Amino acid sequence: MKITSMNNRASWSDQLLLVISVWLISSLFFPRIAFAYVDPGSGSVIVTTILGLIAAVSYTFRKYLYKIKRMMFGKKTEEQQNDHK
Amino acid sequence: MDQRPEVNAGSFRDPENQVYEVTRAAGGGKTRILRGLSQGALANYRLLSEEAFFQKAMDAGHIVQTSVLTAGDEDANAIMMDGWAGVLEHEPIPFVTYPYEWTFSMLKDAALLQLRLIEESLKNGWTLKDATPYNIQWIGPRPVFIDLVSFEPWEKGEPWVGYRQFCSMFLMPLMLRAHLGIDDLPLRRSYIDGIPPTEAAKFFAGISRFKKGVLSHIIFPANVENAIAKRERDDAPARQRSSRGQSTAMVLGLVQSLTRLVHKLSAKIRHTDWSQYDKTHSYQELDFDAKKAFVLKHASTVQREYVWDIGCNTGTFSRIAGEHCSRVISVDGDHDAVEQLYLTEKENPNSNILPLVMNLANLSPGQGWAGRERQAFDQRKNPNLVLCLALIHHVRMSANIPNVLFLKWLRSLQSEIILEFVNREDEMVVKLLTNKKEQYEDYNLEQFISEAEQFFTIVDREPLKGGKREIFYLKPR
Repeated sequence: MKITSMNNRASWSDQLLLVISVWLISSLFFPRIAFAYVDPGSGSVIVTTILGLIAAVSYTFRKYLYKIKRMMFGKKTEEQQNDHK
Repeated sequence: MDQRPEVNAGSFRDPENQVYEVTRAAGGGKTRILRGLSQGALANYRLLSEEAFFQKAMDAGHIVQTSVLTAGDEDANAIMMDGWAGVLEHEPIPFVTYPYEWTFSMLKDAALLQLRLIEESLKNGWTLKDATPYNIQWIGPRPVFIDLVSFEPWEKGEPWVGYRQFCSMFLMPLMLRAHLGIDDLPLRRSYIDGIPPTEAAKFFAGISRFKKGVLSHIIFPANVENAIAKRERDDAPARQRSSRGQSTAMVLGLVQSLTRLVHKLSAKIRHTDWSQYDKTHSYQELDFDAKKAFVLKHASTVQREYVWDIGCNTGTFSRIAGEHCSRVISVDGDHDAVEQLYLTEKENPNSNILPLVMNLANLSPGQGWAGRERQAFDQRKNPNLVLCLALIHHVRMSANIPNVLFLKWLRSLQSEIILEFVNREDEMVVKLLTNKKEQYEDYNLEQFISEAEQFFTIVDREPLKGGKREIFYLKPR
């Protein structure tokens, strides 16, 4: 998979955002979330909701970033850049 | 021998379908792989098979070739008598393997295939209800997705239900090796349903928690699960937790961020005893050529279906055999040597070599439910020829397995054998014996020949390295 330098920068910010957010959520706010009885697997509803929210920020940011990039430089979209080898 | 289709012993977890196998003399003795589907699963499959993304993935070989059988098919009728609404036929997988036999890059490529399919599915209004590497098999060095009933229509707001399973079965083993250098294969073999986040979290202490993806996909889920377990221990019944309300951006964003993470995970190939075999073997060029010529002579006499190369190192002899057979299963206990072989073979579009990591003195056992859910390595499909080159001294002196037991096991495979015996004078045996109290006096050429002749006929033999080694072509008695 080829990733452009812009893509790399975006994924670094993505990573940083993810780490900071998860750290804050799990260390500060997590104890306040009231959990009922759920099996370990259904804990993933909570996990995917929180990680999904953070990922959605990155997803939306990337979407607009590539749109702008395409408008300005006529570059290919992310899907076209990633050959998914 | 004609028979009724039989349920595959590993196919029982999903009530929506069941895999059957049948071998018919009329089909040239080939085994048919059939799948009985419930009414709902059949309706889903009919819709799915019309989707362009699905057809494209099947045409590209990412999904196993599949067709719906009509009511006129005798085997389909037999399966429908069990109550299934319809039957699919899959192209048979040459040799079934399990994730605990794959190298790091094989698991990584399987993970990327799984992620690519879930991403394409979500973009087209579908989802995958599972995310397990057991749904992926290999045709040569290429991963193929086999569980078509995993595809289901995606309801708006539904989360990615396979997220936890993906992390436990793909991501955690990959991160253990990439971030900590841990040999994750024994863990993969034991945790048949994947490594739970709470267990994986114990490996990551201190600063290693800040390595890529650890905090978000291991520590955080482990904290959540631990908190839930703590609360529920003495609690009354569960409160229902809604799983709806996740936007497309949330679900796709999570899948894409995992794809970026998996792409970045890498594990270095170390210089092990075998990973550099092409450069470090103990042969002079002429002797090595003589060994190659002997293998070529007997591997090329007839076009065989399956060749096993056990103790394959980086696959020099697998490639020779591969030119003259349909499939080569190349096995070695050295992860990095097999990884090297996989990385080379995956670049060859015509490769028919499937590399596997396995300690040959501790083959993959039958395991899972009733010990039959996952088959033992030597119970899956017998080879037509086994290459067993310069392995026997390790089996005898490193694993302490008497030659006669090893030969008896080889005989149980009902296969022809090319075996290289490494004699006591060979410098590699001398090295093995240098610091050993036990000197394995029973290990010598004369005794080997007399033991081999109990099980095999020696068809051809040739001394190598000035008599320090001898190579044999054996046929079962």
